[in-house]
Amino acid sequence: MAVAADAGVAVGEERGRALGVLRAVLRFCRTKPLGAAGGVLILLMVVAAILAPWIAPYDPLETDYAAMLAAPSADHWLGTDAFGRDVLSRIIYGARTALLVGFGASVIGTTVGSVVGVASTYFGGKIDLLVQRLMDILLSFPIIVLAMAVVAVLGTGATNVILAIAIPMIPRAARVIRSSALAIREMPYVDAARALGFGPTRIIFRHMLPNVVAPFLILLTAFLGQAILLEASLSFLGLGVAEPTPAWGLMLKGAAVEFAERAPWMGIFPGLAISAAVFGFNLLGDSLRDVLDPRLRLQ
Amino acid sequence: MHRYIIRRVLLMIPTLFGVAVLIFLLMRVVPGDIVALRYTADGGSVSAETLAAERARLGLDKSIPAQFVDWMGGLLRGDLGQSMWTGRPISYEIAIRFQVSLQVAIMATLFAILLSIPLGTLAALKQDTWVDYAIRIFSIAGLATPSFWLGIIMILGLLIVFQWLPPMATVSFFRDPWANLSQLIWPALAVGYRYSAVATRMTRATVLEVLREDYVRTARAKGLWERVIVVRHAMRNALLPVVTIIGLEFAFLIGGLVVTEQVFNLNGIGRLMVESIIRRDYTMTQALVLLTATVFIVVNFAVDLLYAWLDPRIRYR
Repeated sequence: MAVAADAGVAVGEERGRALGVLRAVLRFCRTKPLGAAGGVLILLMVVAAILAPWIAPYDPLETDYAAMLAAPSADHWLGTDAFGRDVLSRIIYGARTALLVGFGASVIGTTVGSVVGVASTYFGGKIDLLVQRLMDILLSFPIIVLAMAVVAVLGTGATNVILAIAIPMIPRAARVIRSSALAIREMPYVDAARALGFGPTRIIFRHMLPNVVAPFLILLTAFLGQAILLEASLSFLGLGVAEPTPAWGLMLKGAAVEFAERAPWMGIFPGLAISAAVFGFNLLGDSLRDVLDPRLRLQ
Repeated sequence: MHRYIIRRVLLMIPTLFGVAVLIFLLMRVVPGDIVALRYTADGGSVSAETLAAERARLGLDKSIPAQFVDWMGGLLRGDLGQSMWTGRPISYEIAIRFQVSLQVAIMATLFAILLSIPLGTLAALKQDTWVDYAIRIFSIAGLATPSFWLGIIMILGLLIVFQWLPPMATVSFFRDPWANLSQLIWPALAVGYRYSAVATRMTRATVLEVLREDYVRTARAKGLWERVIVVRHAMRNALLPVVTIIGLEFAFLIGGLVVTEQVFNLNGIGRLMVESIIRRDYTMTQALVLLTATVFIVVNFAVDLLYAWLDPRIRYR
């Protein structure tokens, strides 16, 4: 893989590769219908996020005090909230927040975790032991507690929430990647690279990391759903994305008990959106894991 | 075995010390301390001397290393100190809330065990039939449903059907078991669904694996009843990893019930943690984080020991 990238890819090869990817996707859809269903759910969510300004019937921030807590109707399909904001529009825009935080956090968490895991196996010995202990410390925090503490330090807002969710994922990713990297370290090509006089940075990034792509992708999809759930939980607690940004967890915050009787739609629909999104990522992740590596099992 | 136990216990000390250092530092870099938050948040003007005196009273005027040494000294004497917010001893504040969190965690665990082991085994025995698909979809949905949303839906249902709202105060199980259970069963179910989903998936996977083992084939060849094979040969071996998962999830529930407690208005450990972080109650947050980390590490260790006891092939050195 690294060699191909070094040599530069010819145009014909590129087209061949695109066809190969397409064929692989089709085969995946045929053999893993549940995974494909998950993929469709995610695709819908991505489309909703991108096309939000065109498909949302209202501005998600537009307040309408004449229509506060309005029940679902032809004007407002899913009703309105306490400020008269359209729930459907806020759910559509909320997909942007969920995807941004979900992808941001899991990409950062998995990438940093993978680099830490691979680097610590490469160096081995005392460094590996020290890194392992450090990961143990981070692992003994319940995820939500560590994320809450990080938000308290950094403050609320989408960027900070991404970091707060990524940090608890680092030790989890590092641990899984480490077990794959242990075998890679013993490979002859790593010895060869060392014999050629390459430094640790080059060996880690060019020779070892490309070979943990399978567990990396599995972790990434597994974390995506978790990150969306965590973002919703943090926002629900008031420690996540701040008002008036449309975010699903935040929409549930006001809905909890106060409006339960008068406006149940406020509590039902954003939760359905969260569940559907996480459900989609979990289905896809599960099937992807089966395809990429049946031996790797993550719960 | 004894040497293994001693080594593991000794290894807990540096990990917990690391947790202590980390949460201590995290709290100190949080912008705004409790004094500023309490006296100036509402825009009122308080003289600088009053603020300084208050900081001195709470020990916040000392250098950061000195504050850490004070805290560690107290911990070594078994003294968690006082909450900076209420002024009451932290051990007291935690004790009155621990019962609620622990009870919900235990009830959720029981629910998860009762649901996941039969369902997981059934799914494995009927692999690739509609029973298996239904159970798998049920459990993947459990992983996807936020427990706090499930809680909100439950409250909505209870409100509409029974006109019931979660009460503001929790009744002790020992004073009125019925009232206590009817109140705590809902949060336990809301958390237990996700929990059982995790355990069901694990059970299904391990039972499937064990059913392909040679000794199961031998048992079949001997003409044993299928029920005997499943219960005595397959399940006994398949449940080991399930025990681990259940133990770890249980450990996370102590202190990890943050959001569910918020929804159901329960005055538990998780809620106290949110409040303490928001109030910049350093001493309280530190104690709570250390407590949850200790529970997690100890349960982890207990699960490892249980594993060795359940499976004679495993021997730790």
